Amino acid sequence: MAKRSGSSFGTFGKTEQFIPNGVKPIRTEFSKGSVPDSIYSSNRESAWSRWRRGFELYCNTLADNAYSYSFDYAIPLPPGTVIPPGSNPPKIPGVFQGFPTKNKEFGMHWAGVRTAGSLRFDNIRDSGGNPSPIASVTEDENYWYVTLSGAWSASNPLPPPLYIPPVVIGGRTIVPAQYPINGEILEDRIITVGGTPINSDTIDPTTQKRYGYTQAVLVATDEKTGLLTLQKQGSVESTPDAAFKTPATTAPHVGRFLMTGTRYCCSCQDFTRRDFAYMLGLGKGNQKVFPRTNVATIKPGRYEIMRRNGKVDNSAMTSATVNRGMEVIAPEAEYNIPPTVTPNSSVVPGALRDNPGVFRDFGKQYIRSTPLPSLEGAVSEGMPSYEDYATSRNPDGSYNITSLTDFWTPLLDELRYCKHIYAMKFTEKVFPPEPSDLPVEMGSITEWEQNLVAQASKDNEKAGYNLASRGLSIMDVPPYNCQAPMMMPMMQKLFNVPSTFVLMSGFTMFDKNGQAYVPAQGGTPGVV
Amino acid sequence: MADFGEITDGTFVLSPEQQAIRKYGFSEIKASGIPTVYHVGDVVNLPYGSGEISSIEAIGLAWAAFSSGITPA
Repeated sequence: MAKRSGSSFGTFGKTEQFIPNGVKPIRTEFSKGSVPDSIYSSNRESAWSRWRRGFELYCNTLADNAYSYSFDYAIPLPPGTVIPPGSNPPKIPGVFQGFPTKNKEFGMHWAGVRTAGSLRFDNIRDSGGNPSPIASVTEDENYWYVTLSGAWSASNPLPPPLYIPPVVIGGRTIVPAQYPINGEILEDRIITVGGTPINSDTIDPTTQKRYGYTQAVLVATDEKTGLLTLQKQGSVESTPDAAFKTPATTAPHVGRFLMTGTRYCCSCQDFTRRDFAYMLGLGKGNQKVFPRTNVATIKPGRYEIMRRNGKVDNSAMTSATVNRGMEVIAPEAEYNIPPTVTPNSSVVPGALRDNPGVFRDFGKQYIRSTPLPSLEGAVSEGMPSYEDYATSRNPDGSYNITSLTDFWTPLLDELRYCKHIYAMKFTEKVFPPEPSDLPVEMGSITEWEQNLVAQASKDNEKAGYNLASRGLSIMDVPPYNCQAPMMMPMMQKLFNVPSTFVLMSGFTMFDKNGQAYVPAQGGTPGVV
Repeated sequence: MADFGEITDGTFVLSPEQQAIRKYGFSEIKASGIPTVYHVGDVVNLPYGSGEISSIEAIGLAWAAFSSGITPA
């Protein structure tokens, strides 16, 4: 018998490549190879690749799911807030999921999940003290307009956090009105006040059929009329057949209460669009490094500085009893920095992007292009779009930055997911739809996938080995790393509270046996 | 073909008839293509007692206090 070369799957020939005569991709001097709309760039930034690699990562971490840290975050309350004695403090439940990686010096990317239902609308009441279920829904091609029941008006607007009134002193608006919940995923899963949220399988006792529900992103809030605008684009419906489909074809149900859906955030370079400087060479001893930014790559943008007692503190971990403050530095520009992110936000003329040792590149963002339901045949996510900044030209020929694409506000589900977020979605069995922007000119997909499987397995093995043999002694662990320069922005976006309300003392962690411990009170996980 | 509300085991795929008649709420939107079918998701239960402050209220308090420059207690 002739010996067959290759693996037991047989050999797959490489597909013939179509090379148009004389047309070559543009190669520029920039290290990553191309201008943003070139074919290489579109392959590199493809959502499909991340989706596929996320699935691989999910399969690979199934066997080795050791780095997941469940937590409850107790929201710190402003002074004077009265909680009835014996009642539960308001909490945000979630999970930190660590992904061992060989590309980060501490050997681990940390991603965060805020679980569904952490914010429930059934305790929102109008001025008459009545709960506010969905009163009516109208729609057009792209949006559902959900009116919450209640006597809403300019003098009785929707309560916080749906709407935070502006702070006006002496006729001057000091802090503009804010809508912190805009950008959250909402689901109509609460049937009764204080009731358990329904899930895909919950059966309505009166009809003996499943309830079903709809999930959509909140894009606008009208506080005077109680009108919430939900986007059909990217919405998901759980049908009475217990299948999920996107985009949803059913509007949120009248009479139900909304709650938030699962929210993901990641600290990896791909999701934050930032490059880390690799400061600590494992095994390199005391080699001195001086991080610098290549002048050609310096672009304007916002960055964060962590300070402890006024001094810059970039440590990866601190004691659980220490709190750092986050300062956001913005370049001089007329743009909408939420004054809200941190009280220490400052606009510094000429601030560019050299924050050595922390990040290199700032600002550019890839946005998911979820399908518009009004487009025929549009069912899955396409190629992500690129957002950065806009300039205007001055008479003297110089340029002013007029707007920066700003993703401090919690539009998490508009950012392109990284492979870690896809992996977490697969883990939760919320299988994300396959994006349609398949990379081009990649040859045989079978070959590519076989390589990917082998590569993912090898990389994870290597990363796991590095972490176990060397990294565990230096790796950063939640919640002690939650105010590190890389984690604090993620925590703020994940919880969607002002950064001054992200305190170490708020964390209750759960060990592998589900036993709660509070690190700020000296608690540690059980050893048995 | 499964009927509306019937309990099916595993992933359910819409029949051509169901795809043909699906519509987006009450609007006149035409759609084609096969909708993506997911598997069953998860749920988190956070009921609270009466008088308790819910997480959404607490976040509201935090944002409102923050606007006026008040930090946590």
